[in-house]
Amino acid sequence: MRLPTLRSLLLATALAAAPSAHAADKPASLGLGVFTFLSGPAAAYGLPGKQGAELIIEQINAEGGIGGVPVAATFVDEAQGAEGVISEYRRLAESDSVEAMIAALSSGNCLALSPLATQLQMPTIAWNCDTHQLFLKDASSYYFRPNGNTVAEFVAYVVYFLEQHPDVQRVAIINPDYAFGHDAASIVKAALAALKPDVEIVAELFPKLGAATYQTEISRLSASRPDVIFSNLWGGDLENFVRQATPRGLFRQSTVVLALGETVLQSTDLPEGTIVGVLGDGWWRSPDAQRIGKAEAFAEAYEEKYGSYPVFPTMKMANSILVLKAAYEKAIEANGGEWPSQEQVAEALKGLTVETMTGDVTLREDNDGVVDQVIGTVGSEGDLPSIADMARFDGAALLPPAGEDPIAWIETLTPAFLEGQPKPGSYQ
Amino acid sequence: MLQTVAPLLMDALANAALIFFVAFGLTLTFSVLRILNVAHGSFYSIGAYVAASAGLFIVGAGLNPWLTYPSLILSAAAVAALFGPLVEKTLVRWTYGRGEAVQILMTFGLFLILEDLQRMVFGVNSLYEDTPMALLGITEIGGVVYLNYQILLIALAALTLVGLRIFIRHTRTGRLLHVVVADREVSEAMGIDTGRMFTLAFTLGVFLAALGGALATPTTGVAPGLGAETMVLAFAVAAIGGLGQVEGAALAAVIVAAARVLAIYFAPELDAVAPYLVMLVVLLVRPYGLFGKAAVRRI
Repeated sequence: MRLPTLRSLLLATALAAAPSAHAADKPASLGLGVFTFLSGPAAAYGLPGKQGAELIIEQINAEGGIGGVPVAATFVDEAQGAEGVISEYRRLAESDSVEAMIAALSSGNCLALSPLATQLQMPTIAWNCDTHQLFLKDASSYYFRPNGNTVAEFVAYVVYFLEQHPDVQRVAIINPDYAFGHDAASIVKAALAALKPDVEIVAELFPKLGAATYQTEISRLSASRPDVIFSNLWGGDLENFVRQATPRGLFRQSTVVLALGETVLQSTDLPEGTIVGVLGDGWWRSPDAQRIGKAEAFAEAYEEKYGSYPVFPTMKMANSILVLKAAYEKAIEANGGEWPSQEQVAEALKGLTVETMTGDVTLREDNDGVVDQVIGTVGSEGDLPSIADMARFDGAALLPPAGEDPIAWIETLTPAFLEGQPKPGSYQ
Repeated sequence: MLQTVAPLLMDALANAALIFFVAFGLTLTFSVLRILNVAHGSFYSIGAYVAASAGLFIVGAGLNPWLTYPSLILSAAAVAALFGPLVEKTLVRWTYGRGEAVQILMTFGLFLILEDLQRMVFGVNSLYEDTPMALLGITEIGGVVYLNYQILLIALAALTLVGLRIFIRHTRTGRLLHVVVADREVSEAMGIDTGRMFTLAFTLGVFLAALGGALATPTTGVAPGLGAETMVLAFAVAAIGGLGQVEGAALAAVIVAAARVLAIYFAPELDAVAPYLVMLVVLLVRPYGLFGKAAVRRI
């Protein structure tokens, strides 16, 4: 048997004396890769997100950063397409200048980045993407979404408008022609079939993303005489649709549900009676946000810096960065005060519950977020855009169990499900 | 019956009016210069950006809102005056007599440059300026509310069609263009300044594209990417009508618009492909388009 040499003994002693193999050196700054749309029609949604990131990072750094380390963001434009987004993500991840990612806005990009996050062992927060397909197939140990998914979001809308308009018979749908629009249409149709089976879908339109004109679609919707029109158009498309449909009387003829309507409340004259929401819990007139006491100061600082009040993508982005901050703090504490490795940050994110500026978010076992859904109706109170008749739906009650087929779960609902849900105007 | 057909007809004509200007500009440029200008869609979007910016300035400055109407035409004229002669004399002229691949590569390069130029000048956010539309009010047709501006646009497209026909067939400049199209070499031998004719035709093409963009702004949004979207549709219309045909472009615009409208009403899943399905069918039956002829130069 060969005896250990002095050199190998010294090496073993040095390794034993070193801190945990998982710990990392505290960096001069915590590099974050932040992915959002910075150009094109989607920038109407993506830029408020970027500004939310800038402001919350500014505030975090003013308070000493995360674990004493200032945060430095590198922004990436998602408008370059999935191929460019993947290559930028990989480049940043392999550059050593970034320790975590806030990516991404688009559901398509999130679906592409989720396996990459696992492959590159990069803790990543999906700050916006809603698709319920994100965690259906592949479990990712590094990819987390502290937001609700499309199932909770759109089932909540159906519940809300059925409660507000119990006699609805004819429903039309106009959604963007990609996964987000088609998923939403499937969920809305399944929820209507389960909760009010006598409703007829009289039109189902999918204009392409970034369409300049909706005039023919508006004619088609108008001619089909729906009681309710549901839409999850967003960004510049939503603004375009509202500006084109309003003068043609579509909002007078039918009740219009704009799932992302809050984002255009400040830039368009959304007619009173339009149902809007925030795909999550939001801050406008939210009693929970007021109780927590951080959102209003953030909104005022945002208004002072950018000239308008934050919209819900702003809050989603800021809340996502707060979730990452909480994960780092948890990981640092678990690591005896040492700076954590990326593996430890990902571990800390699992099952984490955080009080954000707008309410609680919990990451459940499949890394998907449980967030309440706030929905309201456009009112006319005061100078600022107003959302009245609000209801706050329990996020957990609207989500299928982890791993369960969402459409099959929706089909198990019955009209009695409505009875246990909060009513419009109940959240004051 | 009328309640059902009237909105279909109205939507088809309104759509056709939006496409006609840019498609005819493309077909005119091809017939005279024998160049397929891939950058043509950029002139449409630049026209739209300039018109929207001018309208926003007029409204912002508190001027008479009716001034937004002449500003639509003047915006298109300004774009044509700036880009028409400049691009034709510096870039397009260089490609005359060269292969089609060189022409397409050059105009595609120009398209990319113009797209970036728009982002630099007008930014990346959407622009909206609908004052001309708001001034005219609405009309109900077949139970569906339409904008009077859409009706005005249909009338303008019809007037432009007649005007262009008169210009090409019954004015001296139009006849000279006709001769240049028929035989460039003989035209030069007869003393016609073909270089001037090329500049004129190219500038007229740019004007029609920019006018299409400017007239569209009151009912559409203007955002990066608009040029590419319009270009593809204009190619389909020009191919269906037969490159170089005024009446062909008009009829093809109506056919493409009708196909799209019928798809949205009855088979929404075919909305995006409807214009190209029509193009495929027409080109299978008539490879030179509805009005095109195989062996004859066209205008």
